[in-house]
Amino acid sequence: MERARLVLRSVAPFLVALPVLWFVQGSLASYTSFVAINIAVNVILAVSLNVVNGFTGQFSIGHAAFMAVGAYTAALVTTGLESLAIPGVPAAVSGQAVFLVALAVGMLAASVAGLVVGIPTLRLRGDYLAIVTLGFGEIIRVIIENTRVLGQATGISGLPACTNVVWAGMGVVLTVVMARRLLQSTQGRALLAIREDEVAAEAMGVDTVGWKVRAFVISAAFAGLAGALLVHKIQLVTPRMFTFVKSMEVVVMVVLGGMGSITGSIVAAAVLTIALETLQAADQYRMVIFSMLLIVLMLTRPSGLFGTREIWDVLPRWRRRRAPGEAP
Amino acid sequence: MTEFLQHVVNGVSLGTIYALIALGYTMVYGVLKLINFAHGDVYMVAAFSGFYIATGLGVRDDPTVGKAVAVFLGSMVVAGALGWAIERFAYRPLRNRPRLATLITAIGVSFLLEYGFQLPSLQAQGRSLEEVLRGWGWTVPGWFDALVTALPSTFPPGPTPRFFPEPFTRVDWTVLGGVHISNYDVVSFLVAFAFMLGLQWIVYRTRFGMAMRAVSFDPRVAGLMGIPVNRVISTTFVLGSVLAAVAALLVAGSRPRIDPIMGLMPGLKAFVAAVFGGIGNVPGAMLGGLVLGLAEEMVAGYTVSSFRDGIAFAILILVLLVRPEGLLGRVTVEKV
Amino acid sequence: MSGTGQPVLEARGVVMRFGGLTALSGFDLTLHSGELVGLIGPNGAGKTTAFNALTGVYAPTEGDVEVAGRRVNGMRPHQICELGVARTFQNVRLFKELSAFDNVRIACHAGSRSGFTSAWMLTPTHDAEERRIAARAEEFLSVMELSPRRDELARNLPYGEQRRLEIARALATGPKVLCLDEPAAGMNASEKVALLELIRRVRDQFQLAILVIEHDMRLVMGVSERMLVLDHGVTIAQGAPEAVRQDPKVIEAYLGDGKLRLRPPREAGTGVP
Repeated sequence: MERARLVLRSVAPFLVALPVLWFVQGSLASYTSFVAINIAVNVILAVSLNVVNGFTGQFSIGHAAFMAVGAYTAALVTTGLESLAIPGVPAAVSGQAVFLVALAVGMLAASVAGLVVGIPTLRLRGDYLAIVTLGFGEIIRVIIENTRVLGQATGISGLPACTNVVWAGMGVVLTVVMARRLLQSTQGRALLAIREDEVAAEAMGVDTVGWKVRAFVISAAFAGLAGALLVHKIQLVTPRMFTFVKSMEVVVMVVLGGMGSITGSIVAAAVLTIALETLQAADQYRMVIFSMLLIVLMLTRPSGLFGTREIWDVLPRWRRRRAPGEAP
Repeated sequence: MTEFLQHVVNGVSLGTIYALIALGYTMVYGVLKLINFAHGDVYMVAAFSGFYIATGLGVRDDPTVGKAVAVFLGSMVVAGALGWAIERFAYRPLRNRPRLATLITAIGVSFLLEYGFQLPSLQAQGRSLEEVLRGWGWTVPGWFDALVTALPSTFPPGPTPRFFPEPFTRVDWTVLGGVHISNYDVVSFLVAFAFMLGLQWIVYRTRFGMAMRAVSFDPRVAGLMGIPVNRVISTTFVLGSVLAAVAALLVAGSRPRIDPIMGLMPGLKAFVAAVFGGIGNVPGAMLGGLVLGLAEEMVAGYTVSSFRDGIAFAILILVLLVRPEGLLGRVTVEKV
Repeated sequence: MSGTGQPVLEARGVVMRFGGLTALSGFDLTLHSGELVGLIGPNGAGKTTAFNALTGVYAPTEGDVEVAGRRVNGMRPHQICELGVARTFQNVRLFKELSAFDNVRIACHAGSRSGFTSAWMLTPTHDAEERRIAARAEEFLSVMELSPRRDELARNLPYGEQRRLEIARALATGPKVLCLDEPAAGMNASEKVALLELIRRVRDQFQLAILVIEHDMRLVMGVSERMLVLDHGVTIAQGAPEAVRQDPKVIEAYLGDGKLRLRPPREAGTGVP
């Protein structure tokens, strides 16, 4: 009985989310669902980057590279297995199964990339780490542009349109649950300790390098998931989707929301996605407005909207209704 | 052998560009411990202001020494003013905040310049603005018209590249049986070298340099000792930006294509060069720039040329892992 | 209660050099379980450097450090911590933006092998571990008389409590040896006495070997069984407090050559008698 309760608690968010997403999926217009998927992808990116930048206090600005690794790997899987039909199973179902495999493989590949990048670089601190992650991002892009299987600069087109609101939404739930449970666990506190004082953390028995690498790997894996989801919506993957500018967009989301605040990242990612989407009409002015917004926000609220706190700590009316320390 | 020597010449020529930009980077980093992401864009703005001045003076049809001097001075002034403004309005308000906030602001400034310069020209913007406003029964305000007439008619330049008129006549020499070298390569190298010596002299032999080093060591204490910290930092930014302007014009001579994102890659690579040489170290920036230029040229020449952009970062990562303090930098032990 | 048998911490001929500067030379130390040893010496004598060499912040240039018979030279600080050496810092290094409780809970995690997966799945073992850690953390907070401050952010605690929280945090790593770097700095005389009393109690309760750096020689003499005096990186005296106090070399290093000085001799230059 007790065991069943624990298992239920562990999977409850997913059980709740799935039918809700299914319902939402049916009721959304196609443009709305396109925006919704965009928001979902950016939420996954922002929350996962927050694990490294916000929780662990390591400044990475190469998130797009891991996104690229996940996207390309997943694309190879779906295009490679497209013709595969599992006997006795309807094509739609086997297509979904293949997509699930593609997402998993994409995440795995991205996490391997995270490991390869993380092990050597995480000994560095601050600005140096930032510039090296940027450098790795560029290297990965250069490699993709020079690899024939990956379509070089033109990329791979004609990907199956697998991503829908349910997939994207489940990706968000998975990411947020991961981040939330991490933050409330002893493992997550090790990351916070690194952010607060690396020397003291090390002296208190926290294997700072090991935990940093782990945080980096996880963050990369979820970036890979976001990339895989995105390219199976727009059915195209090119190296130009994963430039430095994309990495910066994600950084901006994390910083705007507040480093270390999960809800902050979610709100910022949603707001920024909608803002950029709305500005699409004024395409030339989009990035100008984006950068001005960035500067003004940094000058007026340098620690982001919520700082390290969560939304319910900031909005006092909510707090009164919640018992302190209660998990959502 | 000739091919190799040609690569060396090209590499040094490219490295000189990186070195000139890296000198500005390293100065700003040395004093503020801030990666001034917008430095590459100051370089871009300098190139464009040089372009506008040169166009205004008719350099393309009739290049003279006087006009070349005017182009150089004009764009140095513009770049210096821009550097001053960026520091004053974007970085200074955040000086006591986490460094991350400043880094993000720097990236914001960089994006603003890059994308701002890709907008259609103010004249075109003015026309569409007029249309919109007329629909609402309004007119374009007078100050906007005044601004449009005060600035060059093609400002901002938009995303299409422009071609820089040669500030002075290009001469190509063929030496050592087939190695091409131009007067721009020679002048650039000599100028970079002179600037390196000049900066080194400023940093270690002048009162201002002493103030810079003090601010770099501890701005708070430097302030308490009566050093005008703000003025030192402003001056450093202006100096670095002026250097970027010189670099931009020398480069524009041999690589005349200019566009709003021309500063992005050289800026990043110059930073790599500065780190490679030992960030904050003036001769290190020069050395790092040259090594980086040579490495890129050799890789592009002897392997796949599209690997060019990756090599800088590969070098960066290697350096930071093996010798994080850079070639000429000093090791710092963290005090516990 | 000086112990016998295998020492829990032993340093033999440890030398620390930074470039041309020798901050510590020929440092020997044997520490047995249950001992409380005072490490004293004037400013810049190399006391903190000795700590850093023992706890792995710096790798010794020469010499050996052994924890419970295991050579730890070149090990990372967290490994040495897992072997049972915990420390506090001269200039308090708490996790400032976290609560007192979290500060201690982080240290309780030391040596835990569990990764992220158990946290995500909310496995029963993870739950059990979280509860165990919370209980331990509460215990150490109460030992250091900080229970009422449990949910206060570390940076908001008054200075004396920050020092105590650092000790609670160090204890939570489950050490055999506790190295305290000037735990009483900035406290007044009665606070100091109370703190050292507390330290002695902790030592008895957890059967620890404690190494204390202290400036105030008289104070540390009252509580320690043995003292070690450093000056300019060299151990100039070692032994029972009474013997050390009468050692002429110590008197000279500590109090000068017996004459009253208005400034420390090094910086004084000339002119002041």
